[in-house]
Amino acid sequence: MSRQLQRTAFVLPALVMLAVFFLYPLFEAVRLSFTDSSGLGDYQYVGFDNYIRILTRSRYYESFGVTLAFVAIVVVCQTLMGLAFATALHAMPAIRNICRTALFMPAMMSFIIVGYVWSFILSPFSGGLNALLDLVGLGALKTEWLGTPTLALVLVALVHVWMFTGYTCAIFLAGFANIPPEIEEAAVLDGAGGWKRFLLIQLPLLAPSFTVNIMLSTIGTMKTFELPFIMTKGGPDGATQTIGLLIVQTLFTDYRFGLASALSVVLLLVVLAVAFVQNRVLRQREDLI
Amino acid sequence: MSPSPAALLRPMLRLAKHALVLALVGIMLLPVFYMVLMSFRHGQDIVNHPLALPEHWSLSNYANAYEKMSYLRSILNSLGITLAVTLAVSFVGALAAYPLARSTGVLTQTIVSILSLCLATPSFVTITPIYTIFARIGLLDSYLGIILAFTALNLPLSVFFYTSFMRAIPKELEEAAELDGCSPFSTFRHIILPLLGPATATLSLFVMLMVWNDFVYPLLLLTDSSKYTVMMSVYHFVGNHNLNPEELFPASVLGSLPLLILFLIFQRQIVNGITAGAVK
Repeated sequence: MSRQLQRTAFVLPALVMLAVFFLYPLFEAVRLSFTDSSGLGDYQYVGFDNYIRILTRSRYYESFGVTLAFVAIVVVCQTLMGLAFATALHAMPAIRNICRTALFMPAMMSFIIVGYVWSFILSPFSGGLNALLDLVGLGALKTEWLGTPTLALVLVALVHVWMFTGYTCAIFLAGFANIPPEIEEAAVLDGAGGWKRFLLIQLPLLAPSFTVNIMLSTIGTMKTFELPFIMTKGGPDGATQTIGLLIVQTLFTDYRFGLASALSVVLLLVVLAVAFVQNRVLRQREDLI
Repeated sequence: MSPSPAALLRPMLRLAKHALVLALVGIMLLPVFYMVLMSFRHGQDIVNHPLALPEHWSLSNYANAYEKMSYLRSILNSLGITLAVTLAVSFVGALAAYPLARSTGVLTQTIVSILSLCLATPSFVTITPIYTIFARIGLLDSYLGIILAFTALNLPLSVFFYTSFMRAIPKELEEAAELDGCSPFSTFRHIILPLLGPATATLSLFVMLMVWNDFVYPLLLLTDSSKYTVMMSVYHFVGNHNLNPEELFPASVLGSLPLLILFLIFQRQIVNGITAGAVK
């Protein structure tokens, strides 16, 4: 056996694991998506019925819309907040490390715990937020935070942002550290002020960090279901029912495996398409600069 | 000569900016402080005065949560599973990365595409077929089953991670070993493997975060409460209806404490490792 072939054989254990735990399950998901399987027992092939159902019922479009809104809020807010903190901390070496660590802490907690704690903070009765509003004389703003449809979606997304702002900030700080100091010094010598330096030097040179942050937060949130699962169970009135949560509920509450598989296949295709397009666009943007 | 007002103003402005950023970071951490402070209070006290500090620092909430969650047992479960998954995923991952790091052929590209596809697949898509396989071969509700499932889940990341790490290792090292008559496996074993320490340390952080915090896999694959991971214990103890603050807060603190302590000790390595992993 040639050396090349021997070395290639090293990939085999990994390939076997991926085949058993990813490729076969994916194949099964595609197969089941053409059936009316309900978990146990017999099932029949129903052709494209599940897909037609998804394409013709407004319920599924609404769920994709919720997911899209969730992703948009998270990507925009998380990128902006992470960038704001990183820009400030980049200029403040004395407190940079301690703030980076502090901001990162929520990312070490699990979705379950973050969901629990924020559910309680936002609860209308003994929750912390309403009490805080009372305390500062803004009692008029008190409301049932997670019981109001639009508000619930925004808040659940913002909790996600709260969790991962430190992560985004750390990636931007690493990007700042990669900007050669000579460039910034030259700009200072040329008399460029803070804003001008930020817009003309730092922002363009951070392009790779933008790519990583936007792609990570998009792909991470497109399949999210954990926070809505804990905080709102998809309510009120489906306002926070992301496609991920809809699949989990179709699967484990309704036991409609066929339909859930079809939804999964559609979600996976959307994720792959978005990842492909984003990668293209963001990398092109990097090359332009 | 006294300094001009502008020269005096500048350091003060700088100080004010620092104070502002510190305050904003403090506000971001409020929910964490809130969680810790509330964990000591009685439910009735929280209802009466939602924002008050603990009336007394009683540990009775904790004693109750500790016992009902089988806390120690679940910590040991999480630790053991993390250790086993780290060992398995770093060995299988590094082995696969070795040829991938040195070739750009069609086969390599195919394998990289498969890995990307796996990375993008949500875990709830694959969980039901895995459940069915496990039920058929008797791996449901076993440590081996959950370890295999988590290993597979972390494998794509691990392969990518080691591949980029190994590309930085000079080719000459391997070539010298080959000239000395080492087989590919013994080159891997004696030359490459000893260099992977730092990469494996970082990878183990990812594994630990996932094993500690994931709850899709254990929720379905483990039913025996003596095998629960920490997050399973928290979830089964607190539930998903009518949250009781006397249970919710101490369980949340106990559930996050080990990772937060670990994080505060190794914060530099962890943040650097995770961002480096993301940037590559």
